[in-house]
This record gives sequence, structure tokens and C-alpha cells, in this order.
Amino acid sequence: MQDTSPTPAISTRALTKHYGPVRALSDLTLDVRQGEIFGFLGPNGSGKSTTIRTLLGFLHATSGAASVLGMDVGRESVEIRRLTGYLPGGIALYDSLTGEEVLDYLVDMQGREPYRRGELCERLELSTAVLKRKVRDYSRGMRQKIGVVQALQHDPELAILDEPTEGLDPLMQQAFYRILDDLRREGRTVFFSSHVLSEVERLCDRVAIIRAGHLMAIHDVPELLARRRRRVTLRWRGVAPDPTSLPGLEDAEVDGNRIIGTLSGEVAGFVRAIASPNLEDLTIEPASLEEAFLEYYATTETPT
Amino acid sequence: MSGRLLLQTLRWQRVRLAIVVLAGIGWGLLIPVFYNAFSDVMRDLANSGAFPRELMSFGSGSLFTLPGAITLGLQHPLAIGMLGIFAVGASATAVAGERARGTLEVLLARPISRLALYLSILAALLVAVLIVFAAIIGGMIGGSAIQGLTAELDLAQLPLVILNGFGLWAAFTTFGLAASVTFDRPGPAIGVSLAYLAVNYFLEILGSLWIDAAWAQDYSLFHHFNPGAILSGEPVLVDLVIVFGAAIVPVVYALVVFPRRDLAAPA
Repeated sequence: MQDTSPTPAISTRALTKHYGPVRALSDLTLDVRQGEIFGFLGPNGSGKSTTIRTLLGFLHATSGAASVLGMDVGRESVEIRRLTGYLPGGIALYDSLTGEEVLDYLVDMQGREPYRRGELCERLELSTAVLKRKVRDYSRGMRQKIGVVQALQHDPELAILDEPTEGLDPLMQQAFYRILDDLRREGRTVFFSSHVLSEVERLCDRVAIIRAGHLMAIHDVPELLARRRRRVTLRWRGVAPDPTSLPGLEDAEVDGNRIIGTLSGEVAGFVRAIASPNLEDLTIEPASLEEAFLEYYATTETPT
Repeated sequence: MSGRLLLQTLRWQRVRLAIVVLAGIGWGLLIPVFYNAFSDVMRDLANSGAFPRELMSFGSGSLFTLPGAITLGLQHPLAIGMLGIFAVGASATAVAGERARGTLEVLLARPISRLALYLSILAALLVAVLIVFAAIIGGMIGGSAIQGLTAELDLAQLPLVILNGFGLWAAFTTFGLAASVTFDRPGPAIGVSLAYLAVNYFLEILGSLWIDAAWAQDYSLFHHFNPGAILSGEPVLVDLVIVFGAAIVPVVYALVVFPRRDLAAPA
């Protein structure tokens, strides 16, 4: 039967990159679907930037294959970059130019109109006065905003963003998240690396976890969150029941009339089991993705 | 090649270029004045035997004839410095500097191949070198006209002087840019390019001042640009082949190496 699924926005097959004896990336195989926001998670030095740089043609793979928007990263790198917006981690800009000149120069080199620049500048609070100032006078956050605008101003089909919220204050981070939400609604694909789990939780449809150059897992974010453990506190009138009788409750500690423990798995069954007129209070704290992530790493062996 | 990148590269060099062009014109104007004022004195001094004749010349130049003085003016450290600002300084830092600053990856995230990037920067640098060289030569011709000495020059050979001189400095420019695409930091690129220029210069000066080492001059690119001989109506066409050959080899090297290099994240 003919495969009618759309071409993945990004596809890698056993992608490997070695720097001499150093294995920066080993056998990375993943597909990023068109129209999704895909988080690429991992600690510093895990291979996130190596992957991105290989996708954009800055690095040559030692072995394996990769394509972006259906084009081979080795042979069609220029055409890939025509359709892509890229924000490097810790972006460097031309200090002697004004913000506006930088954006003009880069969009001109892109060969496309800056369709989204006005909207992006407004949302990221880059006023005309700010854009007229030299980049050398910008704070780190302002440089990062210019970085975001240069990556997205030409309305790319695919945005590749390397730690995009680095240096942005919390308000601007929220503004940036809303921009990405809009891109998703418009069917654009976003691939972004991060080690900030809360933003991956907030934004991503799927997340890949990479460590020491190895892909550890790819998850649907809602699925990962559903699997996570929750911290539960129960307070009873009178004596607390035997915690082993409560389904799904682990690591339980009884402290007088209180039971504190962690809950994994389905919540509904647990709630049904504890339903009692003697239950005075119940607190279920949603574990963050960070906890899910740490939990995952705690139970997964580090690759060598 | 990207016209936009070429123009932007020139734009970034424009202030420096304007200053060097003015300095080059000034230096060029002075050479015929020096010649007019001091050539007889120098000749008398040389003929007196007080100094070895070799010390009366500098490289392939001399103050005894106007073409010789022009050669001397173009081989003087001041002229070397002016041209070297672009042929060595700007070229060695062009790519390695962008790489060290981190702006290279912002630029290469655009739909421009490394080949196009290299050729655009090379073209901009060669234009800058040509402008500076033409400014110095223009000053020398202007100075000769002001002094009423143009009859001593075969001005019909002027295009050949410019072509040969441009070829010489193009060789240093392409070498500098080849070093620039090789290293991740501008320091080593500048060091290697300066060493190349210095060795060539040393061989030329050594050979001209020490008769037993005259053979060394043949190995210097400077020896293959003798405007004095050309303006005296004695061009050596093989010099053109040598300097342009020396200019092309680094281009071929860069075209092979640069697109194949890994550009890891800047530190």
C-alpha cells in the first residue's frame, strides 16, 4: 500500500556525529511531524546543538541520514535554509549595526519579505526607538528578542530554535510562548531545544530526550504527564487507614491523621477508593514535567 | 555569489578604506617629490663609494630613476602596511572573525552556500585591495605630473603595472582568506598570513641587500612585481603568471576545504 502520510518536517535515520574519539551523536533516529511543536530536551553537552547544526548543514554527519522538509541535509542545505528560520543558542549579532539594520540585512540575505516582523516586534516590545539603537547597546534579553524576530520574521515553514527563551524575562517568555501557539495554529512546525522543562510542558506536542548523544525516549507530552507520579496528602478525621489498602499509593508515610505519599497511574480509581465521610482533606499536587523527567532519568541507565 | 554580502562587506570596510585610500594617495604623491629632491644627492653618494651600492636600493627599487623610485615606494613598509590592512588584516579576519564572534552561523543560516559566501567576501576584499593599490599608483602618477616628470614614465604600461600589482596583492589576499576559512579563531589566521607576507618581504630585501643571497629574491612574490621595469618599457610577463598563480592556489584550497569543514558551535 502506498504511504500517504505527510513527509516529516525533520527526519533522521541513525544520524551519527563523531569528533575524533568523541561521540557527539549516536544513531539518532526521529521524525518531527509537520505542524507540531517538538521539544528536544537534554542537559548541556547532550548533543542537542550538534543535531541542530547537522540539520542545517554546519556539521557533516559521520554516518546516517537526515532530511528537513523532505530535502537531504547534505545535498539541499541551501534550499532547506531558505524555508527555515534558525535561532542559534546564545545568538551573536553585528554590534556595529542597529537592530533594524541587522533584521534588514538578514531578511535580505534570506530572500524573503519580513511578513511577520511588525507583529513580532510589537509582541516582543521592540519599539522603533529600540530598533534604531546599535546592537552593542542592547541587553542580553534584547539581543535574544532580535534573535527571535530574525528567525521568524520571514514566516518560515520550519523554525529551529536553540534554547529560545534564554535571556528573556518571564513576561517576554510568555509573549514568546503565545507566538509559538499561534505558529502551531497556523500549521508551522517548530523544533526547539531546551533544558527548561516547564516550557516544554507548556508548549510541546512531543518531546525527545537526548543524553550523551543518545536518544533516550520520544514521548507525547500529555502521555508523559499522565504517567508521572503525583504527590498526595490525605487528612482524616480520627485515625488514618492502613495506606497499603489505598490503590496506587506508594512511599506512603503516616503522620497521625495524615498520609503523605506518591500516586502513580490512574487518579480516578484512587479517588474512588479513598471516598469516605472520614476524609477531611485531599491534596494532589501535579508533578511537573521536570519531576517526570528526573524520574525517567533515575530509572534509565546512562548510555556509555 | 551574493551581491548583498559583497556590498555589505565593503560597507563594513568603508571608513577604513577611505582613510587608507587618502593615505595611499598622499604617499603616492610624495614619491616623485622625494625622487626629484634627492635622486641626484643619492646618486652622488652612491658614486662616491661611501656606501655599498646595494644600500642605495630597497628591494627592487631605487631612487636613481623615477620608475625605480615608484618601485621603492610600492615596496616600502608604509605601502605594504596600507595594502596589508586589507590583504592580510581584513582577509585573515573575514571568516575566522565572524566565526569567533558567532555571526557566521547567523549568516550561514540564510540560503547562501559556503562557496557563495567565500566568493562574495573574496570579491569584496579584492575590490578593496584594488582601490587602495590604484590610489597609491594614482598618487604616484599625479605626483609625477605635478613635478613635470611624466616623460620619464611609459604610461602606456600603466594598466600592466596595475594588473601585476593587483596580482601580487591578490595573492596575499587569497592566502589570508584561505587561512581565515581554515581556522576557528582570527589569531592563528592573522599569524599565518602575516608570516607569509613577512617571509616574502624578507627574501626580497635580503636578496637585494646581500649579493650572495640574490637568489632568494626569486622566491619572493615581491620580486615578481617590478613596476620600475614595466614603466621603463621592460615588462616581464612571467611575473604575471607567477603572481596570479600564487593568487589562485589558495582560492582552490579554500574552495575545497571550506565547504567540507565542520563548523562546530562557537565557544
